[in-house]
Amino acid sequence: MSPDIPEEYLQTFVIECRELLEQMEDALLIIERDPENPEIINAIFRAAHTIKGTAGLFGIDYMVEFTHVAESVLDRVRSREVMISSALSALFIEVHDHLGTLVNHVDEGTLPTEEVDARSKRLIAQLKQYLDAPVTHEAEHSSDMPIVVKPKMNLVQGDVVKTDYWHISLRFGLEVFRNGMDPFSFVRYLSSIGQVVQLVTIIDAIPPADEMDPESCYLGFEISFDTDADKLTIENIFNFVRDDCSIYILAPHSKVSEYERLIQELPEQEMRLGEILVKCGSLTPTELERILRLQAEQDDDSSQPIGEVLLEQQMVSPPVIEAALEKQKHVKETKKAEANLIRVDADKLDELINLVGELIIAGAGINLLAKREKLASLLQSTATLSRLVEEVRDSALALRMVQIGGTFNRFQRVVRDVSKELGKDVDLVISGAETELDKTVVEKIGDPLTHLVRNSMDHGIESAELRIARGKPVKGTLQLSAYHDAGNIVIEVSDDGGGLNKEKILNKAIERGLIAEGTNPTDKEIYNLIFEAGFSTADAVSNLSGRGVGMDVVRRNIQALRGTVDLDSVEGEGSTVRIRLPLTLAIIDGFMVGVGNATYVMPLDIVVECIELKAWASDEGDGQYINLRGEVLPYRRLRDHFGIKSETVQRENVVVVRYGEHKAGLVVDKLMGEFQTVIKSPGKLFESGKGIGGFTILGSGEVALILDIPGLMGLVEHEKIDVRKPVST
Amino acid sequence: MAKTILFVEDSASVRQVMKTALTREGYDVILAVDGRDALTKLDGTKIHLIISDVNMPNMDGITFVKEAKKLPTYKFTPIIMLTTETQASKMAEGKAAGVKAWIVKPFQPAQLMAAVAQLVMA
Amino acid sequence: MANKTQRACIAVKGELTIYTVTELKDKFLGGLLMNDELELDLSEVSEIDGAGLQLLVMAKQGAMALEKTLFMISHSPVVAELIDLSGLSGFFGDPLLMAHQSKLEGESS
Repeated sequence: MSPDIPEEYLQTFVIECRELLEQMEDALLIIERDPENPEIINAIFRAAHTIKGTAGLFGIDYMVEFTHVAESVLDRVRSREVMISSALSALFIEVHDHLGTLVNHVDEGTLPTEEVDARSKRLIAQLKQYLDAPVTHEAEHSSDMPIVVKPKMNLVQGDVVKTDYWHISLRFGLEVFRNGMDPFSFVRYLSSIGQVVQLVTIIDAIPPADEMDPESCYLGFEISFDTDADKLTIENIFNFVRDDCSIYILAPHSKVSEYERLIQELPEQEMRLGEILVKCGSLTPTELERILRLQAEQDDDSSQPIGEVLLEQQMVSPPVIEAALEKQKHVKETKKAEANLIRVDADKLDELINLVGELIIAGAGINLLAKREKLASLLQSTATLSRLVEEVRDSALALRMVQIGGTFNRFQRVVRDVSKELGKDVDLVISGAETELDKTVVEKIGDPLTHLVRNSMDHGIESAELRIARGKPVKGTLQLSAYHDAGNIVIEVSDDGGGLNKEKILNKAIERGLIAEGTNPTDKEIYNLIFEAGFSTADAVSNLSGRGVGMDVVRRNIQALRGTVDLDSVEGEGSTVRIRLPLTLAIIDGFMVGVGNATYVMPLDIVVECIELKAWASDEGDGQYINLRGEVLPYRRLRDHFGIKSETVQRENVVVVRYGEHKAGLVVDKLMGEFQTVIKSPGKLFESGKGIGGFTILGSGEVALILDIPGLMGLVEHEKIDVRKPVST
Repeated sequence: MAKTILFVEDSASVRQVMKTALTREGYDVILAVDGRDALTKLDGTKIHLIISDVNMPNMDGITFVKEAKKLPTYKFTPIIMLTTETQASKMAEGKAAGVKAWIVKPFQPAQLMAAVAQLVMA
Repeated sequence: MANKTQRACIAVKGELTIYTVTELKDKFLGGLLMNDELELDLSEVSEIDGAGLQLLVMAKQGAMALEKTLFMISHSPVVAELIDLSGLSGFFGDPLLMAHQSKLEGESS
């Protein structure tokens, strides 16, 4: 099974095979009565052909091998080299049944048993009797990745050229364009298996304008190419144009004489070519001089040696070449770094991170033991150990980081499609594609981003007429950018559209009771009202110059990733939606609080403020709300919530948390400050609905529970609904 | 700018796998189930590459290519044919019809992806 | 008319590829024959291939042969990318095209 292919596709393959086998069976039953019917023969052939082709794609070799032989026999039947006899049709019924068995193995995900294998072999032997020559498989594997063969170094230093790079010389045939090939496609492809160090496009063969046929190809390339691939791999790139092109590939450190032959065989003038080869860095001026002198001698021409002309005219100066070489060296180093990648299953990384979590706990245990026993030397060791463990943890988490570029690039398509749909011309500009973030976050950010991009294009960017009227470029620009900022990743979706209309948003918000009349919110507060749940009804949007549909959903999705989203806008100039996400979901910036003997952790970013219960907030009396500077804030004692029975402390604290549009107070005994920790899944330890999102291990070896704030807020809210109403009336 | 590929193949699972693979590489993929279906997709849409199976019901790959090459919008579109090595005669016929590139079935996705990238970089 | 420099501008829109080169060749050559100076506006070239680039080379060579001046201005990103890949920027950017070069610099700064 090819690693690239999702499991579920195998199911399609199995279903498809069974359908094809049914067709094959039907055809086989007819063929007994009508052995010459070409359509029926073709139907049998096609079934075998498709099964083989598809099995190959899935890397099911035992099926390919078997079907290949059957197909070959069928091909001979098709070309009437072999006639269908009752024996042959009986054999094919057996082949058909056997294929059914093989498909069952694929379905079950098992390998064929010995018995099945033996049957394959027997049937193959029987089938082969119908084939004249033995079947060769080798040909089809020739394009597989070849083993990297280091170019042979010629020991006689004087005989070889200095360059470490391959030299590729190409002159394309006239028909290349008309055959649908673009010479530059091959150049781009070269870059995927190595580094095009230098490329010179040869335009010498383009005839004078009036004789030139623009659909004919007159181009050629001289390329200096750096790669670890072998000659066959490079040659294979040009398979498609091999028939009508001249291609020379010289390995690094090729003999000078090979370059000499190249120069002789290519159509351009020796001087011109030599100049190009030097420009490519494939030959040094000295090497060229030697070649040209050699040729001059051979030509028996008494005129001035061409090499001298070259030097006289100062066409190439050594310092230039030095500089070029320096640049090449740099490029080569970068390339080596890129090739140093391996693919790892994400599950394995999760497992690693889990183990590291266990390691931290175990380490904390030892540390505790050392403290209790007062073993100074052991304490020192455990300190080193925990530092190393932390480093391991950070490295493990870094392994899950992937670049956001892949996600961004998918929006090229979205933007194109939506542009077409809306009849707007919009350019997508991407920046910060190399910014890294956790794989889990990357996977989940796609939907909200799509929503934002669509919204920007739909409601943000104006129609072409309006843009012209506003003196903007007709083409709208949408920008996706990403960057790191203080332990977070920030993703921005900006457009150069009309921006949001403050007045309309404000009016709508007041109308919908999202905000009290007479309050004076800042611009930013107004813009961010569009993320409120009540804002996203369809009619609220259509008459807004901004956007609005489903923005609350976007915010919820982002918050589920422990992120935040806000919006900046300048009316008439455009808007920017800024998403701020934690770099990873496995680590949390936590705020630790204590209730009785228990320790709880909540995500730091949802904490709005901490106040002393008695000093700043007065209890409204019913034990449900406190008055926070005129705001009604529902609150809950964690002590009550988790049923902790211990002495109450004198001064309780309220942690004001905000999740989305909801605010609530959590009453705790003590505030213990910020810290960063690895989240461990609660698993089946805790029933859901208690407001616990996970746990973590403290340095002391104690367990701290991580509060599931959205869940907890739900519980608080549930008890008393809608806290905003009393304020706005 | 994403390049568009028309992928003509009667096997649903090959279509599925290759569409996924090509899309992942950044190509836009249009699918057709046979030559006749493929011709209906040649409606003036810009297509940078055609990949077609040879052996298909209704209209085979060679006939499809011949028809496609008659259309001014597609006369220079590069074509990759998927074939089995047993079809030498078909290859000659295809060559005459203007097919330049052949991929021998069975193939690994990576093989086809390389050929595609050689002709049109995403 | 004899003394006055005759100028024209051709804006290439959409594809500059094998599909359009035949038509464009006539346009370019016509433009060169009728004028002393020809400006090719490449800002709206959405797609260019080897055949398109080759045609630009032909136009440049044709202009030199006819002793006319050819400017190429506002290269769209795809055009700029291909010229860069081909290593032909030097060829297009010889002293005859100083105006175009300074214009490009002006835009980028």
